[in-house]
Amino acid sequence: MARARTEQHPAATGRTLVVMVGLGVAFLLFMAFLNVVKSGNVLSESNLLYAALVFYAGAATLYLGFGVTGTPAYLRFASLATWAGLAANTGAVAHRWYEAGHPPFASIYEMLLSFVWTLAVLTLIAEKKYGVKVIGTVTMPVAIVGVVLMQLLRTEVHPLVPALQSTWLHVHVTLAMLAYAACALSFALAMMFLIRDNMKTETFLATTSAFGVATYLGILTRFEKWGGLSVVAWNPQEKSEVFISKGVRLFVVIPDLGWLMLLVLAAVAAPLVLYLLSRRHNDEGLIETANRAVFVSILLQALALVFFVLRARDGSYGSLDADGLFATSLAASPFILSGLVGGIFVSLMYLLLLWRRHDLERMLPTTDELDRLTYRTIAIAFPLLTLMIAAGAYWANRTWGSYWSWDPKETWAAITWLVYAGYLHMRITRGWRGRRAAYFAILGFAIVMFTFFGVTYLLPGLHAYA
Amino acid sequence: MTATVGTIRRVWQTLSAIKTGVILLIVTVIVSAAGTVILQRPATDPDEMQRAYSPQMLRLLDTLGLTDIFHAWWFILLLGLVSLSIVAASIQRFPNSWRFFSRPYKSPDETFRKALPLHAQISIPNDEAGLSVAERVLHKAGFKPERLVRENGFSLFAERNRISEMAVYIVHASLLLIFLGGIVDGLYGWRGFLSLTRGEQSRQVQLQNGKNRGLDFAVRCDGAGQENYADGTPKRWWSDLTVLENGQVAQRKQIVVNDPLVYRGIRFYQASYGQTGKVDKLVMFATPANGKGDPREIGLAVDEKVALDGDTTVQLAEFIPDYVVRDGQVYTRSNQVDNPAAHLVVESAKTGKAVNVWLPPIPGFEQNASSPYNFKGKEVQMAYFTGLEVSHEPGQWSVWSGVVLMVIGLGIVFYLAHMRLWIVPVRDARGQWQLWLGGTSNRNRDVFEQRFQKLVREIEAEIKVQPEPGAQAHTASLAGR
Repeated sequence: MARARTEQHPAATGRTLVVMVGLGVAFLLFMAFLNVVKSGNVLSESNLLYAALVFYAGAATLYLGFGVTGTPAYLRFASLATWAGLAANTGAVAHRWYEAGHPPFASIYEMLLSFVWTLAVLTLIAEKKYGVKVIGTVTMPVAIVGVVLMQLLRTEVHPLVPALQSTWLHVHVTLAMLAYAACALSFALAMMFLIRDNMKTETFLATTSAFGVATYLGILTRFEKWGGLSVVAWNPQEKSEVFISKGVRLFVVIPDLGWLMLLVLAAVAAPLVLYLLSRRHNDEGLIETANRAVFVSILLQALALVFFVLRARDGSYGSLDADGLFATSLAASPFILSGLVGGIFVSLMYLLLLWRRHDLERMLPTTDELDRLTYRTIAIAFPLLTLMIAAGAYWANRTWGSYWSWDPKETWAAITWLVYAGYLHMRITRGWRGRRAAYFAILGFAIVMFTFFGVTYLLPGLHAYA
Repeated sequence: MTATVGTIRRVWQTLSAIKTGVILLIVTVIVSAAGTVILQRPATDPDEMQRAYSPQMLRLLDTLGLTDIFHAWWFILLLGLVSLSIVAASIQRFPNSWRFFSRPYKSPDETFRKALPLHAQISIPNDEAGLSVAERVLHKAGFKPERLVRENGFSLFAERNRISEMAVYIVHASLLLIFLGGIVDGLYGWRGFLSLTRGEQSRQVQLQNGKNRGLDFAVRCDGAGQENYADGTPKRWWSDLTVLENGQVAQRKQIVVNDPLVYRGIRFYQASYGQTGKVDKLVMFATPANGKGDPREIGLAVDEKVALDGDTTVQLAEFIPDYVVRDGQVYTRSNQVDNPAAHLVVESAKTGKAVNVWLPPIPGFEQNASSPYNFKGKEVQMAYFTGLEVSHEPGQWSVWSGVVLMVIGLGIVFYLAHMRLWIVPVRDARGQWQLWLGGTSNRNRDVFEQRFQKLVREIEAEIKVQPEPGAQAHTASLAGR
């Protein structure tokens, strides 16, 4: 079915997409401009972010168009749009920095701001310097997700508590962002390697589904009795989470949301189950069903996201630990939100692969090239990880008098480091190349993601600030 | 005897195998991950531990050391094994690398030339012309070629970044340095807490296990404070500390969060700051009750006695920050100065008569009317304590030097490849002169290959533009044989 679609599609549809995207960007910017003129504040951070969002969205569309059709004109305009988005993004970062008086790394919002900026820079570097032209197909949608999350998580400039006023902290976080961005890039390259290396589409189906299952299982650790989902309470006046005692957050229970999440978990797990059944019974027909199940799961995931946003946005709910109603906000649940958005994003990427695999493969460099590039990005990421851990340890030493205290985030950072060290040993001394190396790179990034999101969500500790 | 030697050798071989290293790494990863999932002492307080696990479970976890994994003997043993494996693997591979490093192979024989995957041949007019062009091009490319005498002429050898062969050992050594620092700190380091009010000094630190540890010197707090942002969140905590040794001032420093005082390897960190609930000074106006005399400002600490005139003294007997009267007693509800009360005793030396004065007057306790002085409170200066985290980590310098060394080592591992080039003039089957060029690199072979091809092209181009060699050069090369 996928093949048939491809053939109907002309290889180069000319300028239609460019013109449409151009018109779309112009229209959105014009509408925004009308509003801005009314309010009289042109260069505010939110306007800059909005502009960045519009340009990144345009770039993503064009990159996707390029990824699918291979029209070089798309790529040129996609790069231009990325540059424009980056300029607006840089403005937003500078604005934030100026307003806060410290580099924008102090909250989830500020970190996302810097992360998206780094991602855009790396995309342009990978494209111009290394010639990995389709990289924007993956990174730009991620950038969009980042900017959208930022809009939902908007926070005021918070003054820094004494422990965070340190240059070493900024060094630590900058290095972390760079290292994680490099890890993300190596992951994307390893994925491309697997696509180019003719890994079966079903395998991607199974991993997509497994990723969704892990995400929803993580979210469901907050499942409360009789179908509720507990989320952190939010104090709208102080714009901060509510703490019962030092480091212990107050949770409120949103009723019935737990059931919905459970339902989505079932939907997300369905393709994996069908895949396993098809392996067991050697029944290719089940894969077709599984692909349809991905569709259903995307719809349900979108539904879960909408419900979550609507209910968590500005509602007040009861708590198990205290009497009375407490407010919550999306800003109090950045991890659930990222998980929901991430799940949808990964499923959509799978659909792209399912329908356009042939075209995608055409656009990719050779397997050897991708394998080498994966190694190169890890060769960048690993020293950065080392420096990040060292800077963090040095900061902790200056603040608490101990460079290593085995707190969960520290431990997981060390585990990440060990996994990449394992990859390097296998590659250098055992000559691991190709798929095995790619699996390792993917495993490394999965652990990075767990360290970044999972640890803060599931295993609280000293890194309570982020 | 031989059996023991055999066993030792086998243990050593097992330790140095990369498989063992990887298995140990995997075990370390799993155990560390477990340590982030299972609640750990002493970070978690005992109550919470008991809430989280059933008593049997908790006992089991405690016995296995799973509630304090990172300090359990078997975890230390595991890290020790990892270190041993690194040492063993490095020692086993080192001699080979060292031979490579210390005695580079410069003059390639024919077998080597045939086996080398990356090589090329260029036609040259004669051996000397080819060699000198190659030398020039290599110099331009940043190599320093050296000429070697062979049985029948010369050959060239050039290399760069020979240190790259040693990089892995640098990284491994740096890891061992870090471990060493950690072990030293685990054995000889300690952490404790010290709480001081203004003017107070101490020679003792309370350790994490509840015991006290004496210091060879005393630390005095000369002042401490907090600055706030406009919205009331704390911006800065500071303490003025003085180190006293044998009564002499040895060091003074104002410490803030992120900037400790270091004295004899013992570091004092600003950790917390707060009210003790005790009064530092109560400032009041005292006016003679008979109206003859002006009000006078006095400041009193608890139990401090001040003379008001030749006969009368006043003493601050009690200060209650948040008073409440219940069952004929005065209690305090909290340490916050919300509703303070002061108990003064006014005494006459001649008569020995003491009068209890309460501010504010609390019925049933106060005898304010019979006091020779009237008192009016001006302000309450509360005593603040500064909480200091104290730590001694003698191994940290080993850790930091390990970190620096590791960064250097990793930089070499990833970015400096050991490149070697051999250039030998040879005669082909028809007796024509050919310049044989071969090269190898220990890392990033693809990049090196491009570089090698570029060098070959450059040498080829230069040889072509070179005029036909004169007879002189030819004879010189013949004479050299």
